[in-house]
Amino acid sequence: MIAVEVKELTRRFGNFTAVKKVSFSVRKGEIFGFLGANGAGKTTTIRMLCGLLVPSSGQARVAGLDVYTEYEQIKKNIGYMSQRFSLYEDLTVRENIRFYGGVYGLSRAQIKERTEELLSFLKLHEQAHKLTASLPLGWKQRLALSTAMLHNPQIIFLDEPTSGVDPVSRKNFWLLIYQLASEGRTIFVTTHFMDEAEYCNRVSIMQDGVIAELDSPQELKKKYHASNMQSVFMNVVKRAQNEPDSF
Amino acid sequence: MQRILYIIQKEFRQILREKVFIGLIFGSPFIQIVILGFAITMDVKNVSLAVVDYDHSVYSRRLIDAFTVAGSFRFEGVLTSEKQVKIALDKGDIKLALIIPPHFERDLINGSHPKVQALVDGVDGNSAGVALAYVNQIAIKLQKEWLKNAGVTVSKIKEIHLTTIEPRMQYNASLESVNNIVPGILAVMLMIITSFLTGMSIVREREIGTLEQLMVTPIRSYELILGKVIPLLIVAFLLLNVGIIAAGLVFNVWMKGNIFALYLTAFFFSWSTLGVGVFASTITRTQQQAMFVAYFFMIFATLLSGFFIPIENMPKVIQGITYLNPLRYFMVIIREIFLKGTPLNLLWQETLAMALFGMGTFVFASLRFKKRIS
Repeated sequence: MIAVEVKELTRRFGNFTAVKKVSFSVRKGEIFGFLGANGAGKTTTIRMLCGLLVPSSGQARVAGLDVYTEYEQIKKNIGYMSQRFSLYEDLTVRENIRFYGGVYGLSRAQIKERTEELLSFLKLHEQAHKLTASLPLGWKQRLALSTAMLHNPQIIFLDEPTSGVDPVSRKNFWLLIYQLASEGRTIFVTTHFMDEAEYCNRVSIMQDGVIAELDSPQELKKKYHASNMQSVFMNVVKRAQNEPDSF
Repeated sequence: MQRILYIIQKEFRQILREKVFIGLIFGSPFIQIVILGFAITMDVKNVSLAVVDYDHSVYSRRLIDAFTVAGSFRFEGVLTSEKQVKIALDKGDIKLALIIPPHFERDLINGSHPKVQALVDGVDGNSAGVALAYVNQIAIKLQKEWLKNAGVTVSKIKEIHLTTIEPRMQYNASLESVNNIVPGILAVMLMIITSFLTGMSIVREREIGTLEQLMVTPIRSYELILGKVIPLLIVAFLLLNVGIIAAGLVFNVWMKGNIFALYLTAFFFSWSTLGVGVFASTITRTQQQAMFVAYFFMIFATLLSGFFIPIENMPKVIQGITYLNPLRYFMVIIREIFLKGTPLNLLWQETLAMALFGMGTFVFASLRFKKRIS
């Protein structure tokens, strides 16, 4: 089963091509990592797949739906969380959950049920009536992910979800991601932390709008004779700089 | 529909959590009405006045008396020559001088039309005009009094055609500009709340990233816009009511017309200003930018509305432009309803123009508000 399929996807901003003919596919239940430096085209790609941005050319299907025509349908099937967490800081934890539940079109009873579920799952019962602004960053991040999943989506897009979060919280967050993947959900995650890349089933390394490498971390490490993803990434970047025409 | 309700609920939660905002809703109408109502006045009071009396007669003295007792003038004293008048005017000691010619009394009695000269400092053209009108009024009052004294019957006086026109003010009998200003302030206030806050409230979500989050939900653009706009519309109406009460309490200017007629027209008016707010949010990225766009619109809308400057005084081209200004229509409507109690069926043209303009602006702005960036 293919969750996300992308063929020669391209996005231009004026004269600048942010994403150049990118092709890949993500299997259902896979944790798919999207690595790359800032400005490599990760966010642009993810925004096209989530229906926030219209591609300039190429094809993409998310959950079997076309990004050009069925983008509103796609939104019912995906969860999205960006580095900004997107919670209302002046609402309480419970109010945030209720609001997003309502926006996702859940019934009153469903919202109630999901709220209790989430609060137990995140162990946030005691903080439920507190303003979101008062939560530590790591908790906000997990709350944001949970609210983005109130409608029980099968594909989850995470755009640098862990930037600015301490290592312990990052670890906890990845435990959450694993749990979601074990439930059969597809996780599409961008990051610039190379240690996180190790947690992915497969990673693609983006460089200047193209995919420079795409394989499992094990294979990539073997290929570059590297002990960790950090040196794989450095090798890929170096190669790209030495032979800029190879892509 | 359900989604709209959730957004409205969320908006009100955020509004009520902001203590400053609640103070603003109830405090600002009072403050604005008080400050602007007192400050923006076209009434002319305390015009400093000097008199040159070449006649020194009973009649000339009566004339001077009439001016000194009138509240609009402040009598500075008697000067002896026109030369002194010019100096006093130049120095700014006086704004108005009356020069009573020699043989004023004699000429008056034998009917050879003596002429009293009034010299006005015209630097402030508006005040000068109003001051002259006062002079005229007093002169006419005196003429009538003298005719009566001369044994002319009341019915005869009515037949005599006095050369100067006597303006008779209706609906604003005291000719106090506060009556005119206060409904205007309410209109402007309604515009500020709806256009400013709408733009800022949408752009704020863009700044903190929640707008992007909402864009990836199945919510529709119109649901999002209505959900954002309806709470502000409710707040604006609350404010309007507080303003109406403030106007009554502070200036004793109570509304003469039907409040529901005002509500209906204010509702139509708000769509255009809400539309401006939504439009501002589609072309800006930060709250400051959105504020600036809304501010830019508001300055023009206010200046070209007839709030301070009568539209008839504007050049023809500018007059044409004012027809595109929704505030122009609402300014007429709110003043008519407030001061005259004009029924809505006599204001249908303005109402229709405003409603069409409002719907047009709102729909245009909402269509620009896209969930997807192409």
